[in-house]
Amino acid sequence: MNAQTRTEMRELSYAEAIREAMDIALASDDRVILMGEDIGVYGGAFQVTGDLVEKYGTDRVMDTPISELGGAGVAVGAALTGLKPIFEFQFSDFAALAMEQIVNQAAKVRYMLGGSVSVPLVMRFPAGSGTGAAAQHSQSIEAWLGHVPGLKVVQPSTPEDVKGMLLAALEDPDPVMIFEHKILYKMKGHVPEGHYTTPIGKAAIRRAGKDLTIVATSLMVHKALAAAETLGPEGIDVEVIDLRTIRPMDRETVLASVRKTGRLICVYEGVKTLGVGAEISAMVAESDAFDFLDAPIVRLGGAECPIPYNPELEKAVVPQVPDILDAARNLAKGRI
Amino acid sequence: MPIEVIMPKVDMDMAKGRIVTWHVSEGDTVTKGEPLFDIETDKAAMEVEAADSGILHHAVPEGTDVPIGKPVAWLYAEGEEVGDPPAGLAPAEPDAPAVKDDPAPRADAPRPGATRREPDAGEKQRATPRARALARDGGVDIDAIAGTGPRGRVQAGDVAALLDRGPAQLGAATFRAETGPLSVTRSKGGTGTPVVMIHGFASDATSWAPLEAHLKHRPVIRIDLPGHGKSPKLKVASFAALLQEVRRTFDDLNLDQAHLIGHSLGGALALGIADTRARGIASLTLIAPAGLGPDIDGAALSGICRASRAESLAPWLRRLVADEDIITDSYVRLAMAGRSDPNLRAAQSAMADTLFPDGVQAVDLRAALDRLTPPARIIWGKRDAIIPWRHALRAPGRVALHLFDGIGHMPQIECAEEVGVLLRSQI
Repeated sequence: MNAQTRTEMRELSYAEAIREAMDIALASDDRVILMGEDIGVYGGAFQVTGDLVEKYGTDRVMDTPISELGGAGVAVGAALTGLKPIFEFQFSDFAALAMEQIVNQAAKVRYMLGGSVSVPLVMRFPAGSGTGAAAQHSQSIEAWLGHVPGLKVVQPSTPEDVKGMLLAALEDPDPVMIFEHKILYKMKGHVPEGHYTTPIGKAAIRRAGKDLTIVATSLMVHKALAAAETLGPEGIDVEVIDLRTIRPMDRETVLASVRKTGRLICVYEGVKTLGVGAEISAMVAESDAFDFLDAPIVRLGGAECPIPYNPELEKAVVPQVPDILDAARNLAKGRI
Repeated sequence: MPIEVIMPKVDMDMAKGRIVTWHVSEGDTVTKGEPLFDIETDKAAMEVEAADSGILHHAVPEGTDVPIGKPVAWLYAEGEEVGDPPAGLAPAEPDAPAVKDDPAPRADAPRPGATRREPDAGEKQRATPRARALARDGGVDIDAIAGTGPRGRVQAGDVAALLDRGPAQLGAATFRAETGPLSVTRSKGGTGTPVVMIHGFASDATSWAPLEAHLKHRPVIRIDLPGHGKSPKLKVASFAALLQEVRRTFDDLNLDQAHLIGHSLGGALALGIADTRARGIASLTLIAPAGLGPDIDGAALSGICRASRAESLAPWLRRLVADEDIITDSYVRLAMAGRSDPNLRAAQSAMADTLFPDGVQAVDLRAALDRLTPPARIIWGKRDAIIPWRHALRAPGRVALHLFDGIGHMPQIECAEEVGVLLRSQI
């Protein structure tokens, strides 16, 4: 086995890929700092930061007090003065505490000061359900931030993408919000070595197909792919698009796929109403791809309730593979 | 509540119409379907029938311009109190659903004071956007397709299956039939015996313009055939039924005498009218008429009907003439614009299928030509690729023949000057 093949076969977990990206950034750019609660000695709520504090010291890997608003404010200020902070929330739900800094400051300062400053800030949000952490630690709130001009909002679904998108986010002059599904942290996958970037604002076609399009985000990409594998032998050829970025959204990739298949299912974990799927659906309905739709658009999203603690109920309130199978079969067979 | 009578939309780019004549007076009882008033637009004049029954009140004066969709009068029930004209006038936006592209008189005039009636769920065909797009491109009427989707929704596959069955069944199977009188348009000016013109298949009244330039001394009246120009897309079961419809329109003109000119299919119809209305015909002019032999270029007919874009229409239009340079790109685009309504194309396909099954002229009018009494002439181009000019040789001796060298199926356009001078000397 030669060296190149070994590189291609290298696998890391999603969490390791993030850590590697931060390591590369810290090593190559003095302006990069890490901030967050318990990211130092403890290594982060989900052990994503790990032992980086030992390598780079507490000046660059900083534990912040238990005040998301305070920490986020310092991060925004640091970014304004020339640093490139990567700020970790313990749970994406706690963004609610820091909304002033994210929405009213980070997203708007460039505009309000006539473009004379920028906020090269990266924020990382462990997100989603499936860990038994109940209503206040399991939400998928990406659509909240996706609604704010001035922010970029990404949801990488693979180890390779999360590393590439984090490094791309550091090159972006504006605030980039990275939503990391907690269930993905342990997922392993091929990750190229060294520095590379994965474009923000560009979706990925994970599986080509001709009968229907599933546009999914984050963990739902993997559920959609699992459903597609089951549907293939049934004669339903599913195209799975990993949206990857919800702001700015990759209009062209989605529309091209809908023009091809004429059928669309949006699968996302956030609450269905007023969510990412609503935006995708409206985007298609407003475009010329409308003329290619041969069935109603279907959205599979989170239920209209807080995430329950009971594990069975927790599963029931977000889309699962059988839900996708049902929707795809009904759609492909013209039943809805 | 009284029923509103509105200015109908009779052509695509019409914003308003002028009330030319009321056929009933204030206080008269009107029966649904009877002629109510005549309107004139920039392009057309037509009679509008009553869409409801009632007693006519508040009619706008003759000569008034009324935006489409606006009331021109109100129909009251027997015994209903008549006060001031009702308020709550209908909105005048040109694309209000109830009047959209509706060449026939309104059948569902909205009640004043109420919002416009939404179509019942059953009135509109359920169809996916893709099915609609396919139908639009294929010239198929989506409303005539039985959908196989949930609640009868037409899906792309339903349209594709129909398109696969081929163009012949397509037209006959799918065009949306309409009702109403044929469109009649009149020139301004001219005196003496009027000239009545009947155009050919897949053409319309506007095609007479080059010839008309030479006939300005006479009033000119043009009839649009069913499914052509501004006429409704009637179901035409046979040549006899078509002739009956056109003859009724001719009779309704109420002319003592008329010079009748027909081209191609219109020639056959003119001959048919002259056959039974001989006393009212001052002269008969047949230009490359149908009905005198079995041969006709069926491929060209169906090609024209089928063409949904300028590129596919152009080759067939060129076949109509001897000098192809006449058929310029802009001419083709204009012709295609007039054929942009898929339902019009479908109606014409159906008519072609009825009149010219398998590319053969199913009607034989040679006997009518033999017994013809009014002065008559046949004009033909000797390079006609659609109907062989030699059919003219079957005419009896008293019918004059004018055969033009180097001219195709459209002498009235290809050599309008010569034909015009010829006709002017005799009409």
